[in-house]
Amino acid sequence: MVVKVTQGGSEQLASETVQVRLFALLQDRAGWFARELPLPADSCLSALDVWNRLNLGPWSASLRVAINQNLVKPQQRVHPGDELAFLPPFTGG
Amino acid sequence: MHLRIALRDQPFHPFGCLERWHRHLHDQGHSGSAAEALFIGRVRGEAADGSDLEALELEHYPGMTERSLEQLAQACGGRYQARSCLIQHRVGRVLPGEPIVLVAIGADRRGPAQRCCQELLEALKHEAPFWKREWHVDGSSTWITGNTPL
Repeated sequence: MVVKVTQGGSEQLASETVQVRLFALLQDRAGWFARELPLPADSCLSALDVWNRLNLGPWSASLRVAINQNLVKPQQRVHPGDELAFLPPFTGG
Repeated sequence: MHLRIALRDQPFHPFGCLERWHRHLHDQGHSGSAAEALFIGRVRGEAADGSDLEALELEHYPGMTERSLEQLAQACGGRYQARSCLIQHRVGRVLPGEPIVLVAIGADRRGPAQRCCQELLEALKHEAPFWKREWHVDGSSTWITGNTPL
């Protein structure tokens, strides 16, 4: 389910939002797999800040963060238009 | 290095894939490696807790998973001067006994071929965005939180 979170009753421009994606266990726990969050161009939010704003629970060092499908540190700043993903430990192969 | 990577949402036959890969390499003028190491991983019949497993589900991050596999293959293959690399990996629902992953590495000597294959397999298990969920016979499911030991 994709949920668009808006502010003030009017939709933000697509460029002033960040798309947040969850996978696997994180998705099950949160009850959603994708969400758009308003993010003004002058904001200084990090990926970790977004995690906390979305009330996803305590942060774990075992989790990884990807911005635009590149792994980054949780402290990496998020920009409008970014795709931000929170990734549980990988278990492929 | 000749490289082929595919995510498969349907069952695949590892030896058929290998045969087509060899034919493709031949058609590309590849002389054939003196050494080839391969690994096939299949779904076990039991879950981590020992109960019967109905199916294993593989989730991935479309786009990022493929790119990650390519980067890992190029890096590992480069370290061992591999001449060819084939990766086939399932996504979606996989039944007990069915293949999940095929890794095949061609190199000039057995040492680099075997070491590259092992290293690449471990790398994709820990560094490529895949997640496994066990589906139990009672309809419940459990996300796997860690890889099985070597």
